[in-house]
Amino acid sequence: MVSPLEQAVLALMIFAIMLGMGASLTPRDFYLALRRPYGLIIGLVSQYGFMPFIGFMLATLLTVPDAIALGILIMSCMPGGTTSNIFTYFSKGNLALSVLMTVTSTVAGIVMIPLVLVIYASALDLDIPRENIIATLVLLLVPVGIGMVLRKINANVGAVTEFIGSVLGIVFILFLVVSWIPRNWQFLLETSSATYIAAIGIGAAGITIGYFFARALKLHPRNARTVALETGIQNGPLALAIIVFTFPEEEAAALTAVPVLYSLFIMFIATFVTLIFRRANTAAEQKLPDGLL
Amino acid sequence: MTASQRPWTAFYGPNVRPDIKAAPYRTIGEMIRAVSETYGKAPAFTACLPNGMNGTLSFEDVDRMSDAFAVYLREVAGLKAGDRVALQMPNGLGFPVAAFGVFKAGCVLVNVNPLYTADEMAKQFADAAPSALVIVDMFADKVPAATRGHPIPNIIVTRVAEFLPALPRGIVGLVQKHWDKSVKPVEVPHIRLPDAIAAGRSHQDAEKIEVDSYRQSVQPDDVAVLQYTGGTTGVAKGAMLTHANLLMNMTQTVELAQEFEKGKEVALTALPLYHVFAFSLNLLAFYWIGARNILVPNPRPLSSLKRAFENYKITWMSGVNTLFNGLTHEVWFTDSPPRHLKFASAGGMALQSSVAEEWERITGKPVLQGYGLTETSPVLTFEPLGKQRAGTIGVPLPETMVACLDDDGQEVPIGQSGEIAAKGPQVMAGYWQKPEETAQVMKNGWFLTGDIGVMDADGYFTIVDRKKDMVVVSGFNVYPNEIEDCLATHPGVLESAVIGVPDNATGEAVKAFVVKRDQSLTEADIRAHCKAHLTGYKVPKQVTFRSDLPKSNVGKILRKDLRAQELAQTAAE
Repeated sequence: MVSPLEQAVLALMIFAIMLGMGASLTPRDFYLALRRPYGLIIGLVSQYGFMPFIGFMLATLLTVPDAIALGILIMSCMPGGTTSNIFTYFSKGNLALSVLMTVTSTVAGIVMIPLVLVIYASALDLDIPRENIIATLVLLLVPVGIGMVLRKINANVGAVTEFIGSVLGIVFILFLVVSWIPRNWQFLLETSSATYIAAIGIGAAGITIGYFFARALKLHPRNARTVALETGIQNGPLALAIIVFTFPEEEAAALTAVPVLYSLFIMFIATFVTLIFRRANTAAEQKLPDGLL
Repeated sequence: MTASQRPWTAFYGPNVRPDIKAAPYRTIGEMIRAVSETYGKAPAFTACLPNGMNGTLSFEDVDRMSDAFAVYLREVAGLKAGDRVALQMPNGLGFPVAAFGVFKAGCVLVNVNPLYTADEMAKQFADAAPSALVIVDMFADKVPAATRGHPIPNIIVTRVAEFLPALPRGIVGLVQKHWDKSVKPVEVPHIRLPDAIAAGRSHQDAEKIEVDSYRQSVQPDDVAVLQYTGGTTGVAKGAMLTHANLLMNMTQTVELAQEFEKGKEVALTALPLYHVFAFSLNLLAFYWIGARNILVPNPRPLSSLKRAFENYKITWMSGVNTLFNGLTHEVWFTDSPPRHLKFASAGGMALQSSVAEEWERITGKPVLQGYGLTETSPVLTFEPLGKQRAGTIGVPLPETMVACLDDDGQEVPIGQSGEIAAKGPQVMAGYWQKPEETAQVMKNGWFLTGDIGVMDADGYFTIVDRKKDMVVVSGFNVYPNEIEDCLATHPGVLESAVIGVPDNATGEAVKAFVVKRDQSLTEADIRAHCKAHLTGYKVPKQVTFRSDLPKSNVGKILRKDLRAQELAQTAAE
């Protein structure tokens, strides 16, 4: 599907982007997110409570083959992906909270993914590739840490790194979409509408439910927007890796349909939601009278 | 002046001298030179953009660059001592370099609000007749219209990211040009500020010019700055602030505060430097005490200040009520308030007690209110630290006499209201080429502020009302005549009257009462018309249509009656 070279280029890009994201953060941002951990807890509940349930409902209500249904379930119980951090950054959400949520849900995933699948798919024996989990964490934490240090050493280096990271972020999103569609054209034509609904529904429902759940628990709108993106945006590559590691090749092809489709459509959904969140953010900004300048 | 006449001196800190006979320097140029030699390579100014990109000039850098700019003005542009140089730019590293260069050249600085419309600029240029204009590229497109009929021979163009390191400067330039499109091509013949400095420097080296010689002829009582306040007749009115005025006010303010450690402070300059409050306090006083000044080009939205607060250990900041109030409502600010702040200073408009309390609750440090006018360089009174009294404007500065006078110019008894009047070394030399306007405010040695106040037995003052029709919107003076003149040029307006009404956000807001000539005239028409000719803060926030306006028997529109009606209505609600 993706050649090792492309994989390396993508990893490098994510590294550079997260370096930039890190350069926009200070240790204090993390301290503040940890000092009031409700956001984090709400996020975890949303991630492993609501998301698998959404997946289960979609798999049950839609008439899809078993392999697709299993794909839906696996996709919905994945932890948050790095992409959620990028979208949180662009939507002017709480990036420190987003990074912490990604880290906690990824670490918790080692226990939570099998546990949730036991509940919904009755004792499915999945092989969780730890190296992928570790790679995700490294690819997230190392550049964020370096970015923060860069900013601390020199605010200009930090700001320039952040700027380059954010430009790369847009390139990255465009690149994924543009390179994905032509090579999967045939697959798109052959896929059933139920699979489409499931692949789109996981992300859309996750963002919506995550947002209203967080708002209902009185989370600040900015944090609620962060939880929403974090909940809806799953770690697609991890789902693919789990499937490839666990199942024989002939089964894996059908199983990967939902994760592959999800990974495409989440880009559109998240971009759309980010634009709405940016607007909400601007609308919530204090209007300062002209006199000040 | 004796202590019995000045009960407030008892509330000064133990080391405050109540009398300061002379400023520590003869001219501002001399101050800049001496201070630069003392602090040398220490950072003097840091411009911090909203995304954290920044640039820093040391005291030595500013000294050297402003020398070169002074040489450019005198030798290349051909200006003489006393010639006016207009400066129209937001906060940035170009500001101190250009302003200090003007002082070193022995010229007179004219501060111009960069957001002024071409009409407003034209009025000010016509009055001040500057020989050079330093303007930021974002607003340079207004120059042709603003200088029609009275051209300015030397136009120097600067930019927001001036003197930042090349990479951030390039990025900011690209973003401004292609993303916000906030920079338009400059249509008039001009030179870029860095080129002007380079030209000045090569001239200086080639001719072995002693920049100090330029200011030898400058006397302490010569005008240093023309600071415009608008005018009662809608014509621009420039307060002549002398070198002694500004140097004394800087000395008096720092003397009263006592809290500052020379060479150790980090000041946040979010207020625009072209406004007298930040100009005098942030630019001059904090340079003098060797502080590092963090310049923020635009505090809007307030999140633009986030990086400045995160990246620098701010020990002091100045602001207006609007700014303090806004910050107390920003989550990022209340979550991590500045930890190194000693206190903050408020001026420009009344500081609401609720805002002061909230600020102190969040930061743990007080915000002290001061009072003054453009005409008084600007500070007259400040709350002394540790002895602040909410709702008051504090006590007069050292070497300053403030009193409340009745209509005959006699001091009223303690506790009674009268027009606040002041005497002191910071009172301006007069209005530029306006002897009649000057005579109206300078009587029997007093400068009349137009504000009605009360002094208590301890010498703390409180503002209760205003005598002039002037409206103060978030620290900026708005003269009703100017707005009414603008309204009169709209064909659909028969007549109008403008007053100030209380406003939670801006202290006061402009309200226009309009009698229609054309019945189809709408509030939106009025606002669009005003927006085209006036800066944002002058545009009426409220517009009310009426069939007539209250008038005296000689036909003069009575703004005070409108104000009374308005207040009665507000009270009724």
